[in-house]
This record gives sequence, C-alpha cells and structure tokens, in this order.
Amino acid sequence: MIINSRRDFIKTSAVGAGVMLASNFWVDKLIAGSAPAAGKDFIQQRFGLSPDEIQKTLAMALSRGADFAELYFEYRISNSIGMEEDIIRSTSEGITLGVGIRVLKNKITGYGYTNDLTMESLIRTALSAAAIAREAKHSDIISFMTRTPNHQVYELKNPLTEAKLNDKIQLVRDGYEIAKNYDSKIKKVSASLADEIQYIAIANSEGLLEYDVRPQARLNVSVTAEDKGVRNTGSSNAGGRVGIDFYKNIRTPKDIAKKAAEEALILITAKNAPPGTMPVVLSKDESGVMIHEAVGHPLEADANWKKTSIMHDKMGQMVSNPIVTIYDDATIPNLRGSLNIDDEGTPTENAMLIEKGKLVGFLNDRLGAKILGHKMNGHARRESYMSPPIPRMNNTVLEKGDSDPAEIIKSVEKGFYAVSYQGGQVSGTGKFTFSVNLGYMIENGKLTYPLKNATLIGTNIEILKEISMVGNDMGFFLGTCGKDGQSVPVTCGTPTMKISKMTVGGVA
Amino acid sequence: MINQEQYFKLAEELINTGKKNGATEIQISISKSDDFSIEVKDGEIERLSQAGPVGIGIKVIVDKRTATASSSDMKKETLENLVKNAVTRAKLASTDEFAGLPDNEKINSDISALKLYDLKIEEVSSDLMIQRALDLEKMAMADKRATISGGSFFGKSTSEIYLINSNGFSNSFKTSSCSTGVSLMSGENANSYEDGYYDHTIHYEDLMSNELIAAEAIRRLTRMLGAKKIKTQKVPIIFEQGISGSILGFLSSCLGGNSIYMKRSFLAGKLGEKIAPDFVNITDDGFIPKSPRSRPFDGEGVPTLKKSVVENGILTSYLLDTYSARKLKMKSTGNASGTTNFTIGGNTSAKDIIKSVKEGLYLIKTIGQGTVPTSGDYSKGAYGLWIENGELTYPVSEITISGNLGSMLKDIELVGNDVDFIHGKMVPTIKIKEMTISGL
Repeated sequence: MIINSRRDFIKTSAVGAGVMLASNFWVDKLIAGSAPAAGKDFIQQRFGLSPDEIQKTLAMALSRGADFAELYFEYRISNSIGMEEDIIRSTSEGITLGVGIRVLKNKITGYGYTNDLTMESLIRTALSAAAIAREAKHSDIISFMTRTPNHQVYELKNPLTEAKLNDKIQLVRDGYEIAKNYDSKIKKVSASLADEIQYIAIANSEGLLEYDVRPQARLNVSVTAEDKGVRNTGSSNAGGRVGIDFYKNIRTPKDIAKKAAEEALILITAKNAPPGTMPVVLSKDESGVMIHEAVGHPLEADANWKKTSIMHDKMGQMVSNPIVTIYDDATIPNLRGSLNIDDEGTPTENAMLIEKGKLVGFLNDRLGAKILGHKMNGHARRESYMSPPIPRMNNTVLEKGDSDPAEIIKSVEKGFYAVSYQGGQVSGTGKFTFSVNLGYMIENGKLTYPLKNATLIGTNIEILKEISMVGNDMGFFLGTCGKDGQSVPVTCGTPTMKISKMTVGGVA
Repeated sequence: MINQEQYFKLAEELINTGKKNGATEIQISISKSDDFSIEVKDGEIERLSQAGPVGIGIKVIVDKRTATASSSDMKKETLENLVKNAVTRAKLASTDEFAGLPDNEKINSDISALKLYDLKIEEVSSDLMIQRALDLEKMAMADKRATISGGSFFGKSTSEIYLINSNGFSNSFKTSSCSTGVSLMSGENANSYEDGYYDHTIHYEDLMSNELIAAEAIRRLTRMLGAKKIKTQKVPIIFEQGISGSILGFLSSCLGGNSIYMKRSFLAGKLGEKIAPDFVNITDDGFIPKSPRSRPFDGEGVPTLKKSVVENGILTSYLLDTYSARKLKMKSTGNASGTTNFTIGGNTSAKDIIKSVKEGLYLIKTIGQGTVPTSGDYSKGAYGLWIENGELTYPVSEITISGNLGSMLKDIELVGNDVDFIHGKMVPTIKIKEMTISGL
C-alpha cells in the first residue's frame, strides 16, 4: 500500500531533530493545529495552480463533449525505517506528486495522469482523457463551491511525519529488542515503521472543490523462532490514521513485539491442520478477512452493475442467517481504512450492506451509483493519482452478536479455530479462501493444540448461511486490499463467530 | 519533455550534490514510461487510460550507513533536497560493514541483441487498439456458453530504465510491451466460473491473434463448468503450464538473500545439498531475447547473467543482491530486482505427463496466499480437472491442495517441454508425485 509547487519550504533542523521535508512544495506546516487553507487556496498553495488554471483544465477535459470531468491532486510523503540483525539498516523517504484527470461520458471513463504540474502538461493530459468523447462542446465556466469535510476522523496531533527521526527510530528499536530478548528460541527479528501523510485536492466540473489531509502509520515486528530444527515466523503490527502518541498510549512497541514473539513460539510447536470439512470458529482479532473477501468484494458497485458478482441480482433478498449484520463504516475514528471524504470528494458514511441477513446496499462510487440508480455513499477510492477511483471497502464490520466467545468454542465437538492469517482472496463467482497462519484444534469444546498451514475455502453465498453463532466481542485487523492493480489500506472487524461447516485445507 | 541525455545529466548532478554533502557512495535510478490502454465491456469502450509516469530512486551511503529515497516529483530542487535529507538520515542509521554499492561491472553483452524494444509498438494506433479489443470481446462472446463478459483490453507501454552510480556505472535500456486479453463468465450462482486468457509480448508481431486468444479463453472457461467437490485424499498433482510458475515463484522467495540470512527460508544453509531429483535443473537468465522477463542488469547495475540455481537436483545458488551477498560472503547473482527468466528444464510433453497419471488432479488455477518461506508450507484453494487413467475427465473446485515445498521439490516426477519465453510462460508443466487434497 502506500505518496509538490513552487514555494520554498525549509524546515530547518539539526541532525537528529528530524529531517526537512524534501519538497519545496510547502509554504508552511499544514498539519498539526494550524487550520488548512480553504479549498481554492489549498490547490494554489500546495500545487501552485490558480482557480482559473483549474477551470481551464476542466474545460479542456470537457471540450470533446464529456458529461463530467474531475482533477485529483495528490502530494504524499512516505517514510520508513527498517531494523534487522541488531542494526537500523536503512531509512527511506518517498515523495508522490501528481494529478489524475478523469472524464466520464455515460459509462465510459477516460483517464490520464501526470507528475508534471505545468499548464502545458495538464492540458495535454486533460485532452488525452477527453478523447473518449468525440464531439466538440463548449462548456461554461464553472464556479467552484468549496466544501470542507463534515467530519474529521484522523488524529492529526503529533503526526509521525513531523516527529523527530530519532524518536521514530526508538519505537522501532523498542519493538525489535523486546522481541529479540523475549525467549532464547527467538533467532531473528525484523521491525519496521512506515508512516505517511497524504494531501489530496479534488476539483470537478460540478463545481466541487475539496481537500483532505490523511495520516497513516504502521509499526510491524516479525519474529523467527527455532527449536529442534523447526523454524517458523510470526508477525504483528498496529497503526492506523494516528499520531506518534498511539504508540505510547494505545499499542506500544512492546505489545506488538510480544504478540509477534508469542505467535512464532507457538508456531514452532504447531502441527499441520487436518484436511476435510468441519465446523470452524473464527477468532475475533483477524477474522474480518473472511467478511472482506466473502461479503465486501462481491458488494462493490462495479462488480454488480457489470453483473460479474454473484450478488448482483440479490438486493433485498435474505443472503444470510438473520444473526448477521454487516456494514462498512469509513467514519470510525483513526482506523487504517477511515476517510473524511472518499477519492471523488463524497463525504464518507456508514454504509449498511447486510441487515439481519438481508442484502440492503452496495459500496458505491459515482459511476456505479448512477448506473445502478443508487445513492453515492463515499466508497470510491484510488491507490494514488495514477489510478481512477473504483468502489472499495474501508472498515468492514460484522456487527457484534449475543454469544459468549467461550460458549462458541464449547459448542464444537471437533473443529478448527482460526487465529491469524496471511490473507484472503475471492473470485467473482464467490469462491473465496483465507490462508491461516495460526489456528487450534477444537476437541470436545476445548482448544487442544496449535495448527498451521491451512487454507479455508468456501463459496460466499453458502458460507454466509452457515454462520451460526456470532460473539459479543470485537477485533480489528490491519489490511491492505488489492483490486484491479490498486492497493488501498483497509481494516475489517469481526467478533468471534462460528461457521457450522467449511472445508479446511490441511495435510493428511 | 526530457530526453535521454538530460536524464543522465540529472543523475550526474544529483550524484555531485550527494558527494558535496558527504555521501561516500550514491546511486540514482530513473524510470520513465508511456502507457496507453483500452478496456472494453459489452461492445463499448469502458475505459481509456494514458500516462507518462516518471519516477526516481536514490540510494545514499555515508560511511557504511544507508538511506534511500524516491520521488515522482522530478523538480530539481525537490530531488536535491531528497539527496540532502538522505545524507542526513544515513548518518542516523547504524554502521553496517556490508553496506555499499557493487563494484562497477561492465555489461559485456550487447543489450540490443536482447530485442527488448519494438519500434512498431509506437505505431500501434489507438484506433487499432480499440478495434482489436472490441473484436476480441465479440469473438469470445459469440460462443453462447460465455454468458457474461468480464471485459477485454488492449494495452501498450514503452519504458526506459536508467541506472547511474558514483562507482562509474552508467547505463540504460528501453523496453516495450503490448498485451491483450478477455475475461468471461458462465453459469449460475455457486456453479458459475470465470476465466479468460491474455497474451503479453515485447513485439507487436508476436502477440497472439484475437482468434487464438478468444478460442483459448472459451476453452478455459468451458472446461470448468459443472465442477464438483471431491473427497479428501492424497494423489499426484500436475501443475498446468500457466500456474506451475507458482511453485517456482514460491521457491524464488525462499532463495532470496534476505530470506536466507534472516533464516526465513527452509532452504537457508542448504547450499550444496540435494533438494530435488537428479534430473531437476533450475536456472535464472536475464538474457533471453524477446522475453518480457529479460533485463540486462538488475537494480544495482549487476549483470543478470544466466546462473544455475539447482543443478542435477543440488542447490547451487541463492538469489542475491550485493548486500545479502556480502553478508553471506558470496557474490551478487544480479537478483537485486528479483528473478528474470526463472525456469526449470524439462523434456516431456504435457500430454504424456497427463497420461502418466492413473488418478489425480490436473491443477489449473489456485486461489489464496498460503505460502510460508520459513517452513516451506504450501496450502492453496484449487480448481482443476480430475484425471482418470491418463485422461482429463470432469472439473473439480472448492478444494484445497496442501504440502510443503521441501517435499514437493523432492517429489517432482516429470517436467514439461512447454516453456515459451516470448509469451512470458517461463515455467513448464510440472508433475508432483503426491499432495493432499482437502474436500468433502
């Protein structure tokens, strides 16, 4: 997952007190306390373009008869620090700057982008995107309505991008050292911190002018343990749209390191999962990956208006057991998938997808909403200015139920308990898998011994009906979701739940 | 528009900035592309995309301490600030005796002999691309068994890669590519299936015709219709040509230098050991003409010459960049940018491989992650055709296959002769003696 103008920004600093921002782009510190400039001025200040120039570019994009044109400006600074073999091996800094120009004519999209923000380059890019439409048309001058997001769901206080490099290095060292010294069976550790801040501005031919400032951070610790010739690796991470205080108060490097170390130590004692079809209990922390694959992707608007999703003709139908309610809420504060506005400038909201078993909504972008006759609900996202927006998930949640997690395990005579995952995948036809890193055998209602190396497979419309118990707990998982070659940060949240039967891919 | 000379000049200037500010060594890489693609759906253009992205990568070493940077903002002031910042940050990294750029190695081979650039690609017009994509979808959808089109596409791209470092390496190469394909769906609900076919070549004239692509897409779609779930069992598995790469892909991630010295590979420390039967030979070669995977040097300027990774079943080399090579007291294998044409030699026809199986699975698609380099564990969702008495019979799905790469390598029984580098199919059909299928 992951990333400039014409004024001078010099953030002077002594060595060890942070590093100056690379770009000459910034006039001032936009973040942390200082109120960002309003929309028009934002683009002027951040990208060096006047409202007139933006209007002219939009007019060019519409000049061949398109219905709609949009400019998406992005400037992103991303940093990372990596530690292995007891040393800080390297640090990196990345700058992403560019503008993506999108033109719509009926269902057709024209898209171009450039990282050269001169008028010449913008006009060339606008015209190439405009080429989808083929009739000359004069468009009226657009008057912009500057809008500011109606909620603020990020922690912009003490962002990591502004923190001293030494303070960030210390977080990485803490995570590394705690994991390394956790047990004598721990042989290798790597720890890394990635942080970024993304500034976007959106201007469109309907007169919208909007901007957003989005922080993101993730601290990861990976631990390799070895005993009697058996080796395995466990990982853990934490972060979100948070500042450095998150790692002091909410999830410390120590918490993350301990979790990774413990997983590695259990994995070296784990047996191969048994193969076959059996009841499966999904634990709360990471099992959202199942909802993400089985429910989230098939409910994205594009797969439904294109009829490539198995769900496209099931709106209003019962697709699950009534104990299941699933929504995608980008407005939950500080989560990795949270956004104030989506990448088309639509305010984000909590989109209900499945309510008490009934399919009630899709994840909509502008194009999908129009074709399907639905309302936009703030779910258009893009990896960067280089990609057109497509409907995506943000924070996908299966709502808490009534069952005590212990009772759920107790209800299983022989089955599989899934704890952590490498990830999941779904096909358009609804077949999905998730790859389990660590699980446990359930025998007579008790967790007996750890298991590894299992892929769980099912078809979403069948598995949804097999969800038979939903716990009263909740856990969130930090993920990166890939679709159409675009990666975006997401989370998913689930309580402990029971699937009455599912195929567990193990080794005989 | 910047020309080739100006990129070299920019890199030299940034190297000077770095040195002036205290860098001991500095490397600049620049990539520039021109991309154009058409996507078609239901007989209409769905999306047209055009762009000319440029990006730069910077690596700075100050007294054995490293920092890196990257940017898509190519303004000189931004880049100079990035270099200065990198020098400042490098001073905060740890001293690392293995840090540093490679010694300058001359690229002795003739890069143009690789034929990585087709001038004709520049002449492929947008009208031709649109027509080809429209025709391809129409041709495929003419078969009534395909009920929904997932869309067709045609794309072309040219790119230039530059690499310049303070040790005197200064080189560049150009590549072109074109690709086209179609995706289809058929069937209802849980019994539906999606598949398709695409081709990707460096030269326009090598690209498969629409007729062939449409026919192959239909063949792939229809052979899976009416798939059944089968019972849990252990059987021989044949990895079809297109997906056999997943075995070698997993192997390459287990041979990467970082996985080796971090002991995150079951093959760490196994150099010189027998890991596969005698007839198994695995190589990596960046110098195969017209292959989309070829490149003359890696991201550090080290030539990507042909090397044996497994020879007569013995592990003979890891896949190393300069850093991991120094750490392991070895030499870089030119794999700083990953593998190139990473392949396994074979001489049996795919047909004969199928014939050799009495009862087993012909694997045609996998789904999911399910690979753990540290342990070698392998587990994926699978789609395939059931083999009975040497013949492909009915389709099977919603099953998984599991094993361990260590035993899978030892269990390689037959290797196909169906490698096709020009179309990017580097890995032939592979038969594994036995793996676990989980199903009913």
